[in-house]
Amino acid sequence: MKFYLSYFKLRFITSLQYKTSALAGISTQLFFGIVYVMVYLAFYNSNSSNGPMKLPDLVTYLWLGQAFYSLFYMYYKDPEILDLIKNGNMAYELIRPKNIYFMWFCKILSQRLATVILRFLPVIIVGFLLPNPYGLSLPYSLSNFMLFLITLAISTLLMTAIITLYHVIFLNLLNEKGIVNIFSTVADILSGSTIPIPFFPIFLQKIAYILPFRYIIDLPFRIYSNNINILNGINQMIIQIIWFILILIIGCAVMKKNLKKIVVQGG
Amino acid sequence: MKLYIKTLKMHIKATLEYKASFIISFLSQILVFFSYYFIILSLFDKFGNIKGFTLYEVLLCFSIIQFGFSFCETFIRGIDQFDKLIIKGDFDRLLIRPQNILIQVICYDLDLVKMSRLVQSLIVLVIALINLNIEWTILKLLTLILMLLSAIAIFFGIFLLAAAFCFLTVQGLEVRNLFTDGGKHIAQYPIGVFNKGFVLFFTVIIPYAFVNYYPLLYVLGKSNNTFYVLTPLIVFIYLIPCFIIFNKGAKRYQSVGN
Repeated sequence: MKFYLSYFKLRFITSLQYKTSALAGISTQLFFGIVYVMVYLAFYNSNSSNGPMKLPDLVTYLWLGQAFYSLFYMYYKDPEILDLIKNGNMAYELIRPKNIYFMWFCKILSQRLATVILRFLPVIIVGFLLPNPYGLSLPYSLSNFMLFLITLAISTLLMTAIITLYHVIFLNLLNEKGIVNIFSTVADILSGSTIPIPFFPIFLQKIAYILPFRYIIDLPFRIYSNNINILNGINQMIIQIIWFILILIIGCAVMKKNLKKIVVQGG
Repeated sequence: MKLYIKTLKMHIKATLEYKASFIISFLSQILVFFSYYFIILSLFDKFGNIKGFTLYEVLLCFSIIQFGFSFCETFIRGIDQFDKLIIKGDFDRLLIRPQNILIQVICYDLDLVKMSRLVQSLIVLVIALINLNIEWTILKLLTLILMLLSAIAIFFGIFLLAAAFCFLTVQGLEVRNLFTDGGKHIAQYPIGVFNKGFVLFFTVIIPYAFVNYYPLLYVLGKSNNTFYVLTPLIVFIYLIPCFIIFNKGAKRYQSVGN
């Protein structure tokens, strides 16, 4: 455990170095936040009765989405891990007397946390400062806020487990780009990051509620504004935890299986 | 031009050598594109209209801007990825050759996979046009063609400006994405539905409104102002300073060494 913690710390500090790119990221997120809010406002102004979410709830959801965008977008690929297989450095990885799955898990987790820590606060602050229809609202209640933080932490773990899983699954593919893209597009839509799940057509909503992806974004963000109330929130949090453990186990198992077949490509 | 077509053929041949990976990437692009489409479809499913514009009217708007962007992404990829050219030092090699530098940069790379987006945007365009009962006149047809051309021009201009900045900063400018991706996102919808300040910004500073708002009004018959037919041409005026800045940058270029 101590090993993984220090590995995490090392990776985390390295990733904190990219400050200019964080600045660019923040401005992008702010811009997109305003654009999304304006698009939805225009829709609500044209036909306000048909919105499946209350406008302030929706705007809050959109701002949270922008603030935590760098943590939760599903297109994340770790070039270093993917290159390991192509350039043969996988051999070094195999020599280490540690569990490769958890090393990768820590690597991805630290990278994503480091990126988001540099970026989320300015977006949240600007969100709060904006005037009424455009801005981020305060959490519905203190207990909502607490549950939001807890589910957010679990969804970070769940996201990492899912992303580590597809790095593991595609271990034996030399050209993974296309397949990973297909997978991550589907995951991205079903997590509710492109549009909130209540806006989906009914049949897609059903699919989204069955799959694990919505527990990453949809659940915590809607708990924040009490769009999902505390009681439902706690119930769904339990499912969220179960998904996390399940995907973790699957990831470890697939890793074990794939490592047996692995071919180290020269180097 | 001849040179460009020749390199184009070369790039196509090179890509087709890896068939399986090409097909998978092509499919994944279709899916990515579908996710944009999905947003618009679901929102219209719930709301029906956006400030009086219907689904197909917005799709027309959307497909035109997507067409321009994917055209630039496919055929002038070299400028799109200009920072790589500079960092790798390949730009120095191009400078030695006795050809126009801009043409060489354009020829540098071609991304055939992105072509799928181009095809899709055209499909959406056709779907939108079939479902919109537009009474066609020659002027309206001309407007539509000008819109498509100006959509290419606007992204070409932005790419060119961003590339010019690479001479200064060496690294690619991430802020560029604000103007391409962000602008693209806004221009998917008729710009007039947004706030006044936004409309002004995207009319005067980055002229998206001239690409697919004012001319769109004319094509859809929402306005009879014939002046709107010519508004896409204004975008081409914006291209001139972009060219000048790029050429100035190229003259001042100091190699990064390699």
